Amino acid sequence: MPLNFALSTLFQQIINGLSLGSVYALIAVGYSLVYSILLFSNFAHGGFLVVGGYACYYLLTQSGYGIVLASAGAVLASGVVAVLTERLAYKPIRERTSTTLYLLIASMGVSIVIENIFVIVVGGRFRALPQDTFPSGVFSLGSGVTVNASDILSLAVAVIFLGALQLFLSRTRWGLAIRAAACDLRTAGLMGVNVSLLIGIVFFVAGLLAAVGGIFLSAKYSIYPQLGNITIKAFIAAVIGGLGSLPGAVLGSLLLGLAEMLTAGFISSQMRDIVVFSMLVAMLLVRPAGFFGKRVGDKI
Amino acid sequence: MGGYQEGIVILLCINCIAAMGVSLLTGFTGIFTLGHAAYMALGAYTAAIMTVRYGIHWLPAILAGGIVAVAVAWMIGVPTLRLTGDYYAIASIGLGEAIRLILENWQSFTRGARGFPGIDSYTTRNIAVAFFTVLTILMFNLIDSRLGRELKASRDDRLAASLMGFNTTASRMKALLLSAFYCGISGALLGGYMNFIQPSMFDMMKSTELTAVVVFGGLGSMSGTLLGSAIVTSVMEYFRDISQYRMLIYGLLLVVIMVVRPEGLLGNREIWSFLPGNGSGRRG
Repeated sequence: MPLNFALSTLFQQIINGLSLGSVYALIAVGYSLVYSILLFSNFAHGGFLVVGGYACYYLLTQSGYGIVLASAGAVLASGVVAVLTERLAYKPIRERTSTTLYLLIASMGVSIVIENIFVIVVGGRFRALPQDTFPSGVFSLGSGVTVNASDILSLAVAVIFLGALQLFLSRTRWGLAIRAAACDLRTAGLMGVNVSLLIGIVFFVAGLLAAVGGIFLSAKYSIYPQLGNITIKAFIAAVIGGLGSLPGAVLGSLLLGLAEMLTAGFISSQMRDIVVFSMLVAMLLVRPAGFFGKRVGDKI
Repeated sequence: MGGYQEGIVILLCINCIAAMGVSLLTGFTGIFTLGHAAYMALGAYTAAIMTVRYGIHWLPAILAGGIVAVAVAWMIGVPTLRLTGDYYAIASIGLGEAIRLILENWQSFTRGARGFPGIDSYTTRNIAVAFFTVLTILMFNLIDSRLGRELKASRDDRLAASLMGFNTTASRMKALLLSAFYCGISGALLGGYMNFIQPSMFDMMKSTELTAVVVFGGLGSMSGTLLGSAIVTSVMEYFRDISQYRMLIYGLLLVVIMVVRPEGLLGNREIWSFLPGNGSGRRG
């Protein structure tokens, strides 16, 4: 492989990797947010993403909304489904027991339910968002490196949403309450935080971010009931960054996106998933708490 | 007994064997796994390759399937059993998926995603029942043995158990190896019943099902595991006609059970402790 060809592939794959990583980050941050408050892995998170993807698809094709309105509707729908999931499935369990294992199993059930509701109602086939939803232009950065406009868009939108989340968490009263609850949910409740409302807000935000990720994934690939399985990558990113840490989730996601795209570019795309899972296992062996994780001993 | 009923009996035996393995690990040792379908895959592929490619008799091939699963579990267990809680569960997802992906990509050896056809029907009803009976007797003796008590002690309080002089790391490892053996055997039997195996049969969904069945039956109850596995297997089989709704019902069942009765059908008691006249109640 000639040097400049290798270099341009490298650049190309780095940009693709960052774009993919930013979509993972949107999903991983929501997942990590829920983990930081309730200390369980919410396997239904992928379902929220599918709800967002389908809502966007139907709003675009059936009601003729533009992408902005359709996305807003999709994000709202996902947020509502996330809050409903918490209220109907997790809250009754939380009130009965403190064993997070039960929440984990229930979340698997919810994930299966959401996936199969879509299989039954709309069928299992792959649907593409309308062609002109996102800009399809290609920029050339010289020496053979090209960038899709949609990749730049997904990167930019992810940065905006993650920045907004950061502002929400650091500047608002509810953000402060969420950070307090991440330290200790019970104590936060004793200090006068409305825990039930707080958990609702956390789930709404998580669902909202998952939907944004879902819309980009539906545009990039297509939408189908099992699209939510991709959250497994976001889980891995969150673990690599450190469960419950939001900067960790972002860093892990970018690393994972880069690793995937560089593997696809230089080795083979079949190896992508093996590399991802090997990274997870290697990280757990060397540093189980991830880059920014804390208190492994406590999180049992 | 018709062919269909016979098939259900065979499937019941196969699923119960795998579920007992996972129950020993999750219910009795407290190690939550989401990757045990990979051990079934290892058993299935070992037995299939040995019988089809090398013409080896099915009995040593099935046992070899269990042993290969044990060997891989040992390699994986040494580093990962240090992890606890969600971290082990997530590591087990990664390992399970990695094993499945290797089987899927090692074309020359496993025929990859197309699957491995032409396996002899060595798993007849009698063989399945025989394996199930022997392994069940062994398992029930095991959980009442010294090792069984050690596992339960380290599940309930690992620190206290190690202060009592138990080597909790070693006993956790033994539980993992035994559970891998059960899953390996179960996979090998499955291959002999289906005549065809494919890496996608052993994905995360299957692993989830194994763990869910154990939780459904009751963590810490081996008879509960068998009951849960029997109920889930037969419900899934008899609802095959409405396959679209089957998975939906299964998912709802998981949620409803967790909400209504998180301790599972039998909790941590064995089924005979519910019989009249047995007030003492053997606790798991």
